[in-house]
Amino acid sequence: MKTKEILFKLKPMRFAFYIIMGLAVLGGGFLFTPVVWGDYSKLTIPIIKYRGGDHRPRPEAVRSLMAQLARRTSIEVNREPVEIKLTDPDLYRYPFIYLAGNAGFEPFSPRELRILRHYLGFGGFLLIDDSSSKIHSEFDASVRKLVAQLFPKIPLQKISRDHSIYRSFYLIKRPAGRVLLNPFLEEISIKGRTVLAYSTNDLGGAWARDKLGHWNHDIVAGSSTQRQGSIRLGVNIVMYSLTLDYKKDMVHLPIILERLRRYHSK
Amino acid sequence: MNFLIEFFGSGLAEYNEWNIQWAPENSQAIAVILGVSIPLALWFFWTSLKRIPSRLKKIFLFGLRVFIFLFLGLLLLKPQLELKKSQSHKNSIAVLLDNSKSMGIKTFPREEKRMDRVLETLKANKDYLAGLKKDFNVDTFFISDHTEPASDVDVQYQARRPNTDYSKVFRDLKKHYEKKPLAGVFLFTDGADLNHSSDDPSRELVEILAGLNSPVHTIQAGTNESFKDLSIQSLLAPDFGFAFQPVNLSVSLNASSMGNKNISLVLKEGKNILISKMVEIREGKTDYQVELQFTPRDLGKRVYSLSVPLFSGESITTNNHRDFQVKVIRDRTRILHLNGRPSWDSRYLREVLVNNPKVDLLSFFILRTLSDDVAAPTSELSLIPFPSNLLFSDYLNSFDLVIFQNFRFESFIDKKLLSNIKTYVQEGGSFLMIGGDLSFQGGGYDRTPIEDILPVTMQKVGKGYSSEEFKPVVEKKLEHHPILRLEKKKASSQKTWESLPLLNGLNLGLTAKPKSHVLLGYKIEGTTIPVMATIKTGEGRTAVLTTDSSWNWNFRRVGEGGSGRYYERFWNNTIDWITNAPETRLLRLETDKERYKEGEEVLVRFNVLKEDYTPASEEKVNLTLFKVSGEREDHLLDVDKNGDGAFQFLPEREGFYSVEIELDRNGEKISDKISIGVSGETAEFDKPLVNAALLKNIANVTGGEYVILDEAKDLSGIRFENPEVRVLTNKKTFSLWDNWWSYGLLVGFLMVDWWVRRKSGLS
Repeated sequence: MKTKEILFKLKPMRFAFYIIMGLAVLGGGFLFTPVVWGDYSKLTIPIIKYRGGDHRPRPEAVRSLMAQLARRTSIEVNREPVEIKLTDPDLYRYPFIYLAGNAGFEPFSPRELRILRHYLGFGGFLLIDDSSSKIHSEFDASVRKLVAQLFPKIPLQKISRDHSIYRSFYLIKRPAGRVLLNPFLEEISIKGRTVLAYSTNDLGGAWARDKLGHWNHDIVAGSSTQRQGSIRLGVNIVMYSLTLDYKKDMVHLPIILERLRRYHSK
Repeated sequence: MNFLIEFFGSGLAEYNEWNIQWAPENSQAIAVILGVSIPLALWFFWTSLKRIPSRLKKIFLFGLRVFIFLFLGLLLLKPQLELKKSQSHKNSIAVLLDNSKSMGIKTFPREEKRMDRVLETLKANKDYLAGLKKDFNVDTFFISDHTEPASDVDVQYQARRPNTDYSKVFRDLKKHYEKKPLAGVFLFTDGADLNHSSDDPSRELVEILAGLNSPVHTIQAGTNESFKDLSIQSLLAPDFGFAFQPVNLSVSLNASSMGNKNISLVLKEGKNILISKMVEIREGKTDYQVELQFTPRDLGKRVYSLSVPLFSGESITTNNHRDFQVKVIRDRTRILHLNGRPSWDSRYLREVLVNNPKVDLLSFFILRTLSDDVAAPTSELSLIPFPSNLLFSDYLNSFDLVIFQNFRFESFIDKKLLSNIKTYVQEGGSFLMIGGDLSFQGGGYDRTPIEDILPVTMQKVGKGYSSEEFKPVVEKKLEHHPILRLEKKKASSQKTWESLPLLNGLNLGLTAKPKSHVLLGYKIEGTTIPVMATIKTGEGRTAVLTTDSSWNWNFRRVGEGGSGRYYERFWNNTIDWITNAPETRLLRLETDKERYKEGEEVLVRFNVLKEDYTPASEEKVNLTLFKVSGEREDHLLDVDKNGDGAFQFLPEREGFYSVEIELDRNGEKISDKISIGVSGETAEFDKPLVNAALLKNIANVTGGEYVILDEAKDLSGIRFENPEVRVLTNKKTFSLWDNWWSYGLLVGFLMVDWWVRRKSGLS
C-alpha cells in the first residue's frame, strides 16, 4: 500500500493524533536529550580471567545479577559482561570484581598477587564464587591458597551474623546459593572493611538465566525460596560494596533491629 | 671641733658632730697581738739596757720605746676621724584609706557608700589633721592589695581595687618607714580582708604589726546593720561549648534580709531571653543553688548575661548581674548527605566523610525507587522511610552542610520544602550539589529555589551531557582558593592537579552565575563549562561539582601508583570552605588571649585576603571598637604586604568589648566581629560584710584605738607621741694613720731612739 493511500485511509482525528505524537517524540528528543552519563560511574562487575580452570563456569551469572539489581534497586548498571585480567591497566576503573570457577586454577604470579593485594587494600572489592558444588573442591583449594598468599597474616573468617552484608538491602537469615554446602560466607576484612567475600554455594548458578528468562540451573535440594535467597544475597553483597556500613548508622538501627527481631521470630 | 675643722680644712663647717673609729673588721685580733707582743718586746728591751750606767738615760730610752710601741699599736688599729651632720626630724603619721571594691558597698540607715563615710570623716576632721601636719609628717596612702601614695584624696579616691590584703599593706608600710620615725597609723577600712578566715589577725599580720612598733588606729567605715542584698554569688560556666549541644551552668545565689519572695533568674544573649527560672527566696535561708541549661546555636565567642531582679534598698547593686563568655565551637561538622542512588562516587565520598574525625555524618541512600520491584515484603527489607519532613522542616538548621549527591528530590521531598533549603543557606547554611544524571536539570531543580542559591544556572534547553573523558582545568585566577590547595606550595598543588586522572560524565547545560567562582572548568568549543563552582548566597555558601566521577581521583589514582589522599584533601577542603571554617575566611580576626584582666592591654590581629585568596596588601580596613560604656571608636587601619594588621587598646574597665572589621569590596560588605571579655575581681562582693572584730584586734595588738564610723566622727581625741628624733643626714671620714705625717712621726721617734742608744754606747 502506498503512503498516500494510507494517509487518506486514516480518520482525521487519528491522523492528528499520529502527527502530534510524532512531533512529541521529535520535540522530546530535542528538549530532553537522552542521558548518556559516564559509563564508568555505573556499576560494572568484571569477571577475572585467570590461567587454568574455567573462569566463566556460569556465563550468564553476572548479566543475570545485573538484571536483578536493575529491577530491584536504584543502582545503575552496565549489563554487558566484561572480562578482565588482573594485569589490565583498566582494572581500577572497576572497584568490584568477580572471580568464579569450578576447578583448580594456576597460582597467580607475584605481580598479579601484588596488584590484587593493592587493589583490595585501597578500596576494591572481590567476590569469589565456587561453582563446583563440591565440598573441598579443587577450586576451593586454589582459592584458599590464593588468599593465603594474598594476606598471609589475615586468615579467611566466617562473616558474622550482624555483618552489614546481611542487611544492606534485604534482611538475610542465612546465606544461600544453588547448593547449600556451607551456611556461611567467608571474608577478609581490612581496617573494618570487608574487601573479599567468598561463597562456596555456587551463587552464580542460582543467578544465571537465559535471555528468555529461564533459569539455567536447577536449585539442588531446594525451592525457589533458595534461589530468591541467593539473588537477595547477591544484591546485598553488591549493595555492601557500594554503601559499606551505611546500614549500621544510628538512624537505621532501631528500625532494622525491630524488623530483624520479628523476622527471626517467624 | 673647731680645731679639727681648722686642721682638715674650712669646707667642713657644716658638720656638727665627730668621733673616732677603729679598725672595725679585726680590731680585737690586733689588740690581742699587741697586748702580748708589746710587753714581751719591752721586757727584752729593758734587759738590753743593763749596760747603760745612767739611770736617767735608761728611763728615757725605755719611756721612748714604750711611746713608740704605743704609737705603732695605735697606727695598727687604723684610726679614722668621722665627721657627721645630723638634724632633728619630724615623726610621721600614715593615713591609710581602703580603696578596694567593698568600700563601694552601701551602709545603712543612710544608704551611703562606706568610702563616702570616710570622705565625710576626713572633711569633718580637716582642722585636726591640719594641726597634726604642723608637728608630724602626715602621709596619705590608698591601700588594697598594695599601697600607693594619695596626693589628692577628693579626686583620686574610688573603690575600684579588687581586694584588700592587710599583711601586704603593713609590710609595704614598714619598708616605707624603715628610716623614718612612724608615730602612728590611721586605718580607714571596712575590715573586709578575705585573706583572714577568722576575726583574728593572722600570725603573719601580728608579726608585721609588732615590727611596725607604732599604734594603728582602726577607723571602721560602715556597719552591718540592716544589710540587705540579693546576689549572684558564684557562677560555674564552661569556657567553651559546642553548638547545638546543651551547656550547663551552676549558679549560687545569696539573699540577706530579702524576706519571702519568688524571683526569676534570667539568662540572656543580647536582648534575647534564653532561659528564665523561678527561685523561691525564703526568710532565714541565705544560700540557693540553681542549675541551668541552655543550647548555644551560633559559633564564636558569645557573651551571655545572667541576672536576678534588683530590689530597692540593696547594699550592692552590681552583684545582681553577671556577664560571662562561652566560646561556642562546632564539636563536629554536621553533614546531611543524600544520595540519589548507590554509586562509586557516593561510596568513596561517604568513606571520606566517615573517616573525617571532624564530621558528624547523617547519610541516606535511595536504595530503591517507586518503580523498582524488590520482590519482597517490607518486613524482609532493611529499608527505612525517608524522613523528609523532619529533615527539611524541623532539623535542617542543625546541619552545617547539606549534600545532594546525584539526588532527584521528586518522590522524596515536597517541592515546598526546597524553599526551606534556600532560607537555610541564606541564613548561613551550606549546600553542595554533586552531579550525575539525577542532579541539576536531571533532578528537576531548574526553576526551583535550589537554582537560586547555586553558583550555576540550568539551561532550559540543555546541551545534554558529555560521556567523554575530560580533564578539568584549575582557574588560574583562583589557584589560591582553599578548595584547590592540594599541597602547601602553589607550584606543587598545580602539578598535583595536572597529575590527577581524567573524569567522565559532565553536565554541559550549566552556566556559571556572574558572582560565582569557577574553580575547575572544562573548555568545549571556546566555552568554559563549570566543573567545580562556588558562590556566597546571603550568609551561606554553596558549591557544585557537575560530574559524578570524582571517585576516579581516588581509586584510579591508586591504580596509577598514587594514593587517594588528594581526593580526600579536595573534599575536606571543600567541606572546610563551604562550612566557612575560620581558616578559609577572607577576613580573620583573633586576639592574643582568650580572656583579659582589668588593666591588661588587648591585642587584636587581623588578616585580610582578596576575593582570589591572595593577601590584600596595602588595603585599608575600617575597625570599630565597641566599648562597655556603649561608645564606639572608629579607626582606619593599614594592612601589610601579607595582608596582616594589628590593633591595640587598653580597656577602660571590666566588661565586654567587641571589635568589628569591615571591608567594602565593590559594594559588598565583608565583616568579622570578635568579642573580648575583660574580667574584674569581684571576690569582695562574695563576703561583703564589715569585719569589726578584725579591726578591733588590730587596734588592740598595736595599742591603737578602734572607732566606728556609723556617722562622721571627731577623731581629735586620738593623740600621738612626738619624741625628738635626730637623723644623720651627712658624714665624712679622714684616715688618721694612712698619711705621711704619722709615718714621719714614727720614723722621727725611731731615729731619736737610735741616736740616744748610740750615744749611750749601744749598737
